[in-house]
Amino acid sequence: MNFIGKGRQVIEMITDPGTFIENKVGNAELSPGPGPGAVVGTAKCGGQVITMIANDAKQQNPRFKVVYSGIIGLEEAYKMAEAVYCTMAADQAEPVAGKRPIVLIVDTPGNAPGKLEEIVGMNKATVAYQLALAEARKQGHPTVALVIGRAISGAFLCHGLHAGKVLCLADKFNIMIHVMPVTSIARIIKMPLAVLQERVKSNPVFASGVTFAYQLGAVDAVLEDSAAMKTQVLAAISSVRSAQLRGEYSSIGPEGRLQAAIERGGRKTAGIVMKKMREEADNILRALEIL
Amino acid sequence: MKIAGQRWQKIQEQSFYRATARERAAGVADDGTFRELLGPPDKICSPHLPLLGEVAQFDDGMVTGIGLLGTRPVFIISMEGTFLGGGIGEVNGAKMTAAIRLACYTCDAIREKYDGQVPEDKRPVLVISFDTGGVRLHEANAGLLAHADIIDAIQDARGKVPMLSLCGSRLGAFGGMGFVIMATDVVIMNEQGRIGLTGPEVIEEEVGRDEFDASDRALVWRTTGAKHRYIMGDCDYLVADRVSAFREKVLAVAAFPLARILRMRKTGSAQLVKREQELVALSVKEKIKDSTDFWRYFGNDQAENIPEMELERFLQTVKRRPEAK
Repeated sequence: MNFIGKGRQVIEMITDPGTFIENKVGNAELSPGPGPGAVVGTAKCGGQVITMIANDAKQQNPRFKVVYSGIIGLEEAYKMAEAVYCTMAADQAEPVAGKRPIVLIVDTPGNAPGKLEEIVGMNKATVAYQLALAEARKQGHPTVALVIGRAISGAFLCHGLHAGKVLCLADKFNIMIHVMPVTSIARIIKMPLAVLQERVKSNPVFASGVTFAYQLGAVDAVLEDSAAMKTQVLAAISSVRSAQLRGEYSSIGPEGRLQAAIERGGRKTAGIVMKKMREEADNILRALEIL
Repeated sequence: MKIAGQRWQKIQEQSFYRATARERAAGVADDGTFRELLGPPDKICSPHLPLLGEVAQFDDGMVTGIGLLGTRPVFIISMEGTFLGGGIGEVNGAKMTAAIRLACYTCDAIREKYDGQVPEDKRPVLVISFDTGGVRLHEANAGLLAHADIIDAIQDARGKVPMLSLCGSRLGAFGGMGFVIMATDVVIMNEQGRIGLTGPEVIEEEVGRDEFDASDRALVWRTTGAKHRYIMGDCDYLVADRVSAFREKVLAVAAFPLARILRMRKTGSAQLVKREQELVALSVKEKIKDSTDFWRYFGNDQAENIPEMELERFLQTVKRRPEAK
């Protein structure tokens, strides 16, 4: 059993029945035309109003031929970013406790690789969405990502890795979570595949899979039971919300996951780098009489 | 080894394109002021490369440090494309995140020192010199996660520390770093600079040669190159290929009021998303097939002459995408 290509079905599974309204966030109506592979809208989850942002892997974008199967193209990325900004605008006057959650359903194989995409600037589109989600989290919107299928490379970066918490279904649901398959890495770095596959067993930094992703701090929790998706999403929302209410923003999002990774034995050297640079900077800043 | 005096002077006259990461870093800061953070003597290397039979480097292919621009502290991140394609892994990714966060921390400390107000002539500046194809595939997952950390740090630095990007080295800013550069405030390039997300070879492999012929250098250049980025407004300043030309522009921009610098952003607000959505719609409406179609649309009737045009003449005559209001 798996949920690849079933983004819309998962929206129904994790929201209160019949509450999802597509292309509406707060008072804003989003244009239904652009970005057919991005599903955005408002729903209720456990009674609270949330913004939903999901991939619809069944759609082909008629204007951009490289955008299909959940690929995030120019229109999709900007539509997703727009939904986040509409969410922030809708709750602008609310205190942190009243800012609505944003839930991301992740099933995407990548950002669009195409000539037109490069000419227009796919780089800008994907980072526009990242900055929107980062800002929403820092403003106090609880953001939670749920990986249901493919969470690959830059598409996972924009649609997932900026969430306060990232949940991920277990490997048995055919989850694909990586930058690049080991077969392609072997070809590009010119290393025999057999050797690389052997090394993969001991080192998560270039391997695929949910267990490694957890160890490295790409995901916060692994869900063995798909029937628990809704309760787990609700629990994650409330855990992010309480961190935000305590003002502990560095305990969630990428910073929180880096700390978690260090505790799990992944990305340990990154932790050493950060600490040592801070110490050295203090000395230099004093020597330059800046501090 | 400190770069100062005659050696620093000599770097000023050098080609930026050919300068090493360390020369670019020291050359942008005032003479003799650049001090490296986590430099080679610290010997903190990638723990992953030896497992794959690659030789690690003591700086992991990235120079980070602090210098001065007049009265301002400048935090500099400079990438070395000759080491594994300038790829971002766990260590150099963490160095970059830490440098951005340290710039913020210093800004906060200065604010405290001056009773809650950062004097404009003491506000820290961040300069990033790109030379990278993006994620280092040898440690791809850690590299990808580092990009999330970097964007998160950039979001915190916005409006606090001016972020200036320099793109004029051999590898440009591609892959994940192709979007990181678009999250900074100001982009300065030379003619050799290139910015993109998916590299030409990858597009050709994934979509086909009909979509993109990676061996067609003229096509690659006009799709990702500095003149295209300048016309589209992704690049703010196109300068001569000299370290001193980049440094002079950095000095000039660093002295701008913060509000002016923030108006130069390309991403990061609802208004800018709307502006880019209009550009995407325009590309569909105008059936854009090549960069030159956009160049013509924005008023460059002789678009075919642009690639060969001398920099000065180009800057004098080019018509660019209208600026954001």
